[in-house]
Amino acid sequence: MNKNESQYSKKNNSKKDVTGDDIFQMKSITKRFGGLKALNDISFNLKKNEITGLIGPNGAGKSTLFNVATSIYKPDSGKIFLMGENITGKRPHQICWMGISRTFQLAKTFLSMTALENVLVGAIYGHKPRARNVRQHAMEVLELVGLETKSDIITSQMTLSDRRLLEVARALVSQPFIMLLDEPMAGLNPSEIKKMLHVIEKAHKERNVSILWVEHKVEAIFSLCNRIIVLEYGQKIAEGKPEEIAQNNNVIEAYLGKPSS
Amino acid sequence: MLRLNQMKVHTKYIAGLIVVIFFVLCPLFLNSERSYFIYFLYTTFIYITIAQGWNLIAGYTGQVSLGQHAFFGLGAYITAITWRAGLTGYFDPLAFLLSGTGALLLAAIVGVVLLSKLRDDYFSLGTLGIGEILRVAALNGGSFTEGAAGISLNSTAYKSMNHYYYTALFIMLFTLVVIVLLIRSRVGLALIAIREDETAASANGIPVLRYKILAFSIGAFVTGLCGSLNAYYIFHVHPPGVLSLNWVVIPVLMCILGGAGTFMGPILGAFVLSIAFELTSIWMPEIHPIFSGAFIVLVTLFMPSGIMYYITNHKSMIMRRLRLTVFKWMNQKA
Ligand SMILES: Nc1ncnc2c1ncn2[C@@H]1O[C@H](COP(=O)(O)OP(=O)(O)OP(=O)(O)O)[C@@H](O)[C@H]1O
Ligand SMILES: [Mg+2]
Repeated sequence: MNKNESQYSKKNNSKKDVTGDDIFQMKSITKRFGGLKALNDISFNLKKNEITGLIGPNGAGKSTLFNVATSIYKPDSGKIFLMGENITGKRPHQICWMGISRTFQLAKTFLSMTALENVLVGAIYGHKPRARNVRQHAMEVLELVGLETKSDIITSQMTLSDRRLLEVARALVSQPFIMLLDEPMAGLNPSEIKKMLHVIEKAHKERNVSILWVEHKVEAIFSLCNRIIVLEYGQKIAEGKPEEIAQNNNVIEAYLGKPSS
Repeated sequence: MLRLNQMKVHTKYIAGLIVVIFFVLCPLFLNSERSYFIYFLYTTFIYITIAQGWNLIAGYTGQVSLGQHAFFGLGAYITAITWRAGLTGYFDPLAFLLSGTGALLLAAIVGVVLLSKLRDDYFSLGTLGIGEILRVAALNGGSFTEGAAGISLNSTAYKSMNHYYYTALFIMLFTLVVIVLLIRSRVGLALIAIREDETAASANGIPVLRYKILAFSIGAFVTGLCGSLNAYYIFHVHPPGVLSLNWVVIPVLMCILGGAGTFMGPILGAFVLSIAFELTSIWMPEIHPIFSGAFIVLVTLFMPSGIMYYITNHKSMIMRRLRLTVFKWMNQKA
């Protein structure tokens, strides 16, 4: 793993400091599971066209944050805004229609469908459904993630790496304002990780989409992200530019100090 | 599904058309009033319709309903009650429409309640409960449903078996066309997405509840039509008849046997199971239920995903062997 990580670090220099308007806000979100506070008073903003990293040890609440943001769970308190509009409590499909797409930590593709059909679902039902040319649009996105030659393959026969790429394509095809990626590199080998990194970078550049990205592959996330948010035990313990985060003592203690997974 | 319409569609349509023409012509060559074959086709058409309705909600959408007999029974009761009241007549299109719509509305209401919050297995149990609730309602409906004795209808209205045969054929064809159009459309894509992964489906913008209710209601509508036809056929609508669990168990078995979630599955399953049932009841009426049970067990053991999947898998296996043989043969030549 380590020899690959050095490849990501090179990209640190090419990264730009894009700052735009806040398009997404979480305000004092708390989510409990019984006695456990999986999210404890979390607030943060996402800016237009930024890639924001969300890191933290296992069980920190990263996936829960995604599930709250996409209304799979209802927060116990707090509010969520998209483009200034309160979206707290909307149904998951409405959240998608309003412009938030996501992928899942355990890749959730429609296994009996072909790759193209998977992407068609996003193209037809997503944020900006297109009456015409859905197929062409879907193919373009498949091409972006490098799956254009596999469009007719049944998803259950695809590798995990391809299914993760397909999930990104499906999220991207609806032309969301924000794409939430939950560990898109989990379970991938070094060359697949490189490919995914490339795809995320390309998607961000070509599609003008803001990205919130959960990842345990810290080097990868530091290489692409404009900003990083760190969670631990449901609390936000740090937020800032990668270089600041790398020097933050809380973070080093909580996360980076541990042997990387 | 979408990829289906890429290959061999024309051969499929032509084959289908030939079969339909054969069904249409059957009564011309057989004496419908006496022909066992006509009766066999009539019941099979009804089973195909109910099985296809179940296929839509369970096979394609992944929500296992056990309440199809309730829709069948409701359709029969609506037809019987409106006819007795003089609101509709014998073989009245309005009665069919009312029966189908009544079943559809019941499904929509039940769907909103059962599909919005409950887990999948509760949906099955809940739908099983609809039949029971209707049974209790029918038994206690006083002069409206005439309790356990049921409603006897004017059987002197009977004209000809052909009426029943062609109506059943029409209802089945109508159902098949609706299912094909739905499954090939964006709606079908949504239903299959829901079956495959509900969370991912909703995260990708599919209003899951709405589509589940749609699939459930359409299935109920065609089942209600069958119930209506059945009321005209037996002239006697009572709980043990039209609310029998057979109206859900047999079509479900047919669908599973043929292959749930495939278009041809329920059709094949209905024919195979009907033939098996009929043969055993002709040759060995005493052991018919035992044989039928054993048959079902055997099929689920050896073809757990249904005949359609077996055929598809078999086909690809044969093709693979063929290719391998050709490949070896060419290698030897080289
Ligand atoms: N549905 C649930 N019911 C009960 N507890 C849950 C549920 N989902 C998550 N949790 C708990 O909430 C905490 C946060 O979980 P979460 O999945 O958000 O962590 P995470 O940061 O994504 O971890 P990982 O890096 O392992 O994916 C954990 O302690 C987890 O056990
Ligand atoms: Mg997680």
